[in-house]
Amino acid sequence: MEEKEKEKKKKHRAKHSGPKAEKKRKRYLNDLGIGEEEDARKRNPKAFTVQSAVRMARTFHRTQDLKTKKHHIPVVDRTPLEPPPVVVVVVGPPKVGKSTLIKCLIKNFTRQKLVEIRGPVTIVSGKKRRLTIIECGCDINTMIDLAKVADLVLMLIDASFGFEMETFEFLNICQVHGFPKIMGVLTHLDTFKNNKQLKKTKKKLKHRFWTEVYPGAKLFYLSGMVHGEYQKQEIHNLGRFISVMKFRPLTWQTSHPYVLVDRMEDLTNPEDVRINPKCDRKVSVYGYLRGAHLKNKSQIHMPGVGDFTVSDVSFLPDPCALPEQQKKRSLSEKEKLIYAPLSGVGGIVYDKDAVYIDLGGSHAHENEEEGVRPNHELVQSLISTHSAIDVKMASSKVSLFMDSRPLGSEDVGQEFVMPKEERQIDLKTGRVRRKALFDEEEKKENDDAVSDEEDDQEEEEAMSEDGSDGDDEEDAEEESDEGEEMALGSAKRLKTEVAKEESMSELPAFADSEDDLEMSSEEEGKTAPEENEVEEDDYDEQGTYRNESSDSEFEAVSKGVADSEKYEIASEDREMRSQLSARSLKKKTVLTTDSGNCTAEEASESEVESLDEGDDEEQSHDELEAEVSNQKQFQHTWIKKADSSRQNKLEAVEAEDDDIENLLREEEEYEEKTDFSADTAGALKWKEDLTQKAAQAFLRQQQSTPNLRKLVYGTAVEDDEHESEDAGDELGGLFQVRRPDKESKEKANALDCSKFLIEKPQDWDLEEVMSSIKDCFVTGKWEDDKDAAKLLEEDELYGDFEDLETGVVHKGKPAAEGDESENEEEGNDGKKSKPEAEEEEKKKERLDKKRKLKEMFDAEYDEGDATYFDDLKEEMHKQAQLNRAEFEDQDDETRVQYEGFRPGMYVRIEIENVPCEFVLNFDPHYPIILGGLGNSEGNVGYVQLRLKKHRWYKKILKTRDPLILSLGWRRFQTIPMFYIEDHNGRHRLLKYTPQHMHCGATFWGPITPQGTGFLAVQSVSGTTPDFRIAATGVVLDLDKSITVVKKLKLTGFPFKIYKNTSFIKGMFNSQLEVAKFEGAAIRTVSGIRGQIKKALRAPAGAFRATFEDKLLMSDIVFVRTWYPVSIPKFYNPVTSLLKPAGEKDTWRGMKTTGQLRHERGIKLKQNKDSLYKPIVREKRHFNKLHIPKALQKALPFKNKPKNLEKKGKTPKDQWRPAVIREPHEKKISALLNALSTVNNYKIKKARVKHRQQVKEYLKVKQKEEEQKLKRQKEAKKKIYRILGQREKKMQKSSLKGSSEGEKDV
Amino acid sequence: MAGGGGSSSQCLSYAGCNFLRQRLVLATLSGRPLKIRKIRAREEDPGLRDFEASFIRLIDKVTNGSRIEINQTGTTLYYQPGLLYGGSLEHDCSPSRSIGYYLESLLCLAPFMKHPLKIVLRGVTNDQVDPSVDNLKATALPLLKKFGIDGEGLEIKINRRGMPPKGGGEILFACPVRKVLQPIQFTDPGKIKRIRGTAYSVRVSPQMANRMVESARGILNKFLPDIYIYTDHMKGVSSGKSPGFGMCLIAETINGTILSAELASNPQGQGAAVLPEELGQNCAKLLLEEIYRGGCVDSTNQSLVLLLMTLGQQDVSKVLLGPLSPYTIEFLRHLRSFFQIMFKIETKSPEEEHKELIPE
Repeated sequence: MEEKEKEKKKKHRAKHSGPKAEKKRKRYLNDLGIGEEEDARKRNPKAFTVQSAVRMARTFHRTQDLKTKKHHIPVVDRTPLEPPPVVVVVVGPPKVGKSTLIKCLIKNFTRQKLVEIRGPVTIVSGKKRRLTIIECGCDINTMIDLAKVADLVLMLIDASFGFEMETFEFLNICQVHGFPKIMGVLTHLDTFKNNKQLKKTKKKLKHRFWTEVYPGAKLFYLSGMVHGEYQKQEIHNLGRFISVMKFRPLTWQTSHPYVLVDRMEDLTNPEDVRINPKCDRKVSVYGYLRGAHLKNKSQIHMPGVGDFTVSDVSFLPDPCALPEQQKKRSLSEKEKLIYAPLSGVGGIVYDKDAVYIDLGGSHAHENEEEGVRPNHELVQSLISTHSAIDVKMASSKVSLFMDSRPLGSEDVGQEFVMPKEERQIDLKTGRVRRKALFDEEEKKENDDAVSDEEDDQEEEEAMSEDGSDGDDEEDAEEESDEGEEMALGSAKRLKTEVAKEESMSELPAFADSEDDLEMSSEEEGKTAPEENEVEEDDYDEQGTYRNESSDSEFEAVSKGVADSEKYEIASEDREMRSQLSARSLKKKTVLTTDSGNCTAEEASESEVESLDEGDDEEQSHDELEAEVSNQKQFQHTWIKKADSSRQNKLEAVEAEDDDIENLLREEEEYEEKTDFSADTAGALKWKEDLTQKAAQAFLRQQQSTPNLRKLVYGTAVEDDEHESEDAGDELGGLFQVRRPDKESKEKANALDCSKFLIEKPQDWDLEEVMSSIKDCFVTGKWEDDKDAAKLLEEDELYGDFEDLETGVVHKGKPAAEGDESENEEEGNDGKKSKPEAEEEEKKKERLDKKRKLKEMFDAEYDEGDATYFDDLKEEMHKQAQLNRAEFEDQDDETRVQYEGFRPGMYVRIEIENVPCEFVLNFDPHYPIILGGLGNSEGNVGYVQLRLKKHRWYKKILKTRDPLILSLGWRRFQTIPMFYIEDHNGRHRLLKYTPQHMHCGATFWGPITPQGTGFLAVQSVSGTTPDFRIAATGVVLDLDKSITVVKKLKLTGFPFKIYKNTSFIKGMFNSQLEVAKFEGAAIRTVSGIRGQIKKALRAPAGAFRATFEDKLLMSDIVFVRTWYPVSIPKFYNPVTSLLKPAGEKDTWRGMKTTGQLRHERGIKLKQNKDSLYKPIVREKRHFNKLHIPKALQKALPFKNKPKNLEKKGKTPKDQWRPAVIREPHEKKISALLNALSTVNNYKIKKARVKHRQQVKEYLKVKQKEEEQKLKRQKEAKKKIYRILGQREKKMQKSSLKGSSEGEKDV
Repeated sequence: MAGGGGSSSQCLSYAGCNFLRQRLVLATLSGRPLKIRKIRAREEDPGLRDFEASFIRLIDKVTNGSRIEINQTGTTLYYQPGLLYGGSLEHDCSPSRSIGYYLESLLCLAPFMKHPLKIVLRGVTNDQVDPSVDNLKATALPLLKKFGIDGEGLEIKINRRGMPPKGGGEILFACPVRKVLQPIQFTDPGKIKRIRGTAYSVRVSPQMANRMVESARGILNKFLPDIYIYTDHMKGVSSGKSPGFGMCLIAETINGTILSAELASNPQGQGAAVLPEELGQNCAKLLLEEIYRGGCVDSTNQSLVLLLMTLGQQDVSKVLLGPLSPYTIEFLRHLRSFFQIMFKIETKSPEEEHKELIPE
């Protein structure tokens, strides 16, 4: 056994590459003594000298080019510190192994095995990276949606089959919407038996993949399966690749906030659902925020559902947080989190105000239900009633009055169409299954779809699917909130219900939602003081008034109580919230005590709360404190009016206050009051002068207000004027007493002026006033660090220097003195603390100086070669740092208010008015995406595109056929009109898209920024073997008016022709129409050009026109006009997510006329005139030109018609006789002919000969000439040589001569 | 579902005619529809005034596809903004407000047009209510330049001066298109290095301008020697239809902050005649008051700077402002409701406030 193992062990293999091998090699070389000179440049410098300056310049140029080519326009780095998980989309055709890959990856990262994956799965993959993995099916809707949010795409390709259309479609979608990182993964490689074949296929696929993505794109090979999973090592490698990958930011993604939803809850009031199962829902969705910052109340689009406004956003603790910073190399098991609520992973999920616990199965639950249900028939019947009992009572009463048959409870019960349940006993498991009838079929289909997708695992999962089915049903049940659920519903919901009922029973009028409560409390806050002012002492009336108005009062009261209580006990507000029911009890107590001062207090309280627009329950503690102190301030003023035991209590609390606060109180009071003056509809008389004062002292106030933010944003003036008016007391139920509330009106209808007038100018003649701004001028005093004189004086930089020119040594101030004294102090300190401080200061000074010196040095040496690019980059970097630093120190609560929710946060988004189908037909397999919309992207208008039909799409596209576009976040159907731009800029309508050319398109749809890419498909339903993407392009322009025109020819006929003038009829119908076209160019078919002159009185629409020539009655006259095309205002969002489960890929919008015709078998009736017929042209007969005799006479001879009559037959006597030669004459002429021929020949010959001779002669001549030249050249050479020698001699001799001459001298 | 007009964003509703301009401007820039109710509903003369109507017409001119609905009494206005189009335009402003009233809003809109705006405005160039064209030329244009809106296209030119009540002035405003604005860090106003100004007079003695300058210098010279006040006397056609005179002073700091103050004489036939000396003195004092308030931007342009900060990139911009004017406070609130942008406001020192824009 052991031996065998030994044999098995591999031999050691020395490394040949990598850092270790390198090191070894180096050491080896060192040992040899040649390792030192590793640089050839150093070893042999001569070989690297400049050989050619030109080449040097060229290489330099080239390197510079390469360098600058790498530059991108620097952008401000906006990536959040803690980025959201990377979205990894696994895409591929069916049965290629997507789910298996995801499972393997999850298992690789988290050591957990997920059985079924629904929706996105978020995992922690490393110390700084999380991944959200999501599978993308073959539905084109899903592909489009996920391509828009993907950071990384794992593109699975079945190697045994090759590329499929889905792959290419997805690639094309990516190209249009911004190209995320794409990594190919080849699967099914184990089907290849032949190794060579495998290699060949790999290579082929790789090259094809490279042409599609980019050359060198990573392609992974997953060779084989082991126990239904991919090989561990390969998956591990893939995981490593994913977790170190870098991503480039995509424009659309970085400029828009978006959320890939990983959880959805239905928040609709179950009661509403019970009454109307089809009512609009309120849902909350959860997910990581990505891209840009998201603001509350902003517009979003949910692809597949529609546009919504965010009704509330809040951030939650990260469910899948990155590990705390530590220096370990790898993650511990605890930190390898996984979060996939849609797949049922991550047991407990936290919400803003609730904790959801997934109980796994629901079997036990169900049994319980069964036991319970029969006993509660009465409750059942009660529950299944349509409306509340009191409402029904009222209705029955009415019917009695009308003498009709009173409604019985049975009738009411029948009215209600409740989704009936059907119990089925599963034969296999013996389990009782309940099914809601209305969505029964859908579910079945859904199951089918699921099983279809995973045929391989069908058998394995048959059992588990049953189980999960039950779960699904249970979920659906809970969400749809059927009647039964009421009895067994969650405690939370019941609680709220109970609370509401309580309030209902107590109060006749009630507000539905909390928002309403808030609203009305605000209103209350505003109206109450007003009333105070009107009837100061009439507390009772106020009480009754409150009773009448709404329960918001109660809310306010209870809040007041609770708040003050909280302040006293210093309990946390969370706790307080939990005491909801206790509070409602307290309401009553407060009501009964009902003292006058209480109301004002509440009013102020509620107002203050309305000022802080945040949810009062979520306010941070310190803010609450501030609030309470505000309230106190108000009370402080109120004390003068009335006392009560309560106030005493509060006074006691006040005593605890800081002294500073007391000092500030006066000013704060001011603020409070102005706020009032701004807000209150009615002015308080006793406050009137105060407000005026406040207005005057506005400036002072602003200077002293500690919280400007509150001043600006706190007192948001809502235009609730009308409400306060409505709340005004009525006289006899008909007339309302109107009190002219001057101040508010002045505010609302005041002069719109941006000037900030000075209420109380200072007296600038006074010396002290003047001196207050003296330092604002350059002539004034400067700060120490900027004052040039002081700097000069202090700075040692300019201390000692020697003037080189004069040689004078300048000595700076003996700074050493200080040092010396310092030293001395150092010597004898020990007890004194003062010198220490001084020392510190001096140390700091020295450090400052050092820093300054360093800066100067840096400035001199470092920034010398900074380019424009570097500067720009530096600037961007600074901005990024500034952005980061600005809000770093603030807590998330306040930060979110300023900058919105930043990417990387886990947010909960509430959306209202969502169609019920979204909830009912929720299928976690389909991704839900919330895409934030920019400022005007929620609007609709005309959008112009540049469009090109896709090369691979088989058909051409027709104008006015509906087309589904994917643009921005949206998918929608619209009717585009294609056009082409003429040379003069005219947009001429096209009937069809051109084949291999771009054309323009205009459609009515959502405004999307220019430069955004789009793609078009003709249908999103079903699958076709053909390529589905019909066209791609880009948004060119947005407009609210259209410029597309089509040609229109108006034809008319002459009915009276003068010389060049004709009267034309049949072109227009009225004089007005003609007037519009006066001066227009017209033409006849034969090409005579003309102009429309003026309308004729009769017949209507006839006009006078002039032409360049005379018309014929048979001529057709036409005018070319351009008729603006109206673009159909058809915008139909693709609501694929609202389709029942299993049918989500069957969305069909508007059909084309062609489709309709085909479906209904309607044949197109063609216009008879448009049919082509053989053209038969009659022979034209032209009459002779007849010139009157008189005219002929007057014409000059030149123009006179010549008498071109054929000559008549010449009379016989004028015939000329033919010449007939005699035989002799014939002979002579023949001879002459022969002689001349011979002569001609001779001449010709002689000429040829002569030409040749001349040629030869010229040749000889040329030769001679050449020789002559040669000779001359040689002779010249000789002469010059001699001349040169002579000159040299001369020179030499002259030099010598001079020397000789010197000698001679 | 089919053929629907898509979902347009929420309509904002306000009451009263105050802040009409900023509401319309912000609605246009944000693309959100707007409804204003109760415009002078309780007054003798209800509804929109002629200058407001003229403003709405101007907005309609510079946009494409706006829908404006006004009810019969003019007390309710519904505005659905179109796209900012720009181009070469002309507009006759109502003489009841000065051109500054219109120009202030155009300054906000102009950089975001589709085509560069080149507009001729006719009406009153200087009056006592609104910032005059001189003032805007001296203060707003440098401010725009700070945000990167500059180049040859940016200019305000006064072709003719018109004083109330009859007007007759004409200006040319041209602005290039800049969709991307630079973030600014403008928190140090610096010290005032020079004071410049214009003293203008039309249809009165040209001596008036000199008298104004003389008196203003008398006050300002105590602080700074570098003062130059141009005198601008317009004659003939370019002098408009009504007589009047006034002055506009500008203090410029070493960091490029520009503070301004201005005064104009009472319109003909309204109020007592004003002595030019007195006017000059008062104007100088106003300037001192403005300096006393401090800040990097003068009080009339506070809203403009805040708007440009809002519409810039998602970067942090900072600016130091003097005390906030009521107009600015309302503007901040409007910015929040239209753009969901809240400013982080910090008080810097007892006399100054510190404002920051928050990245989106």
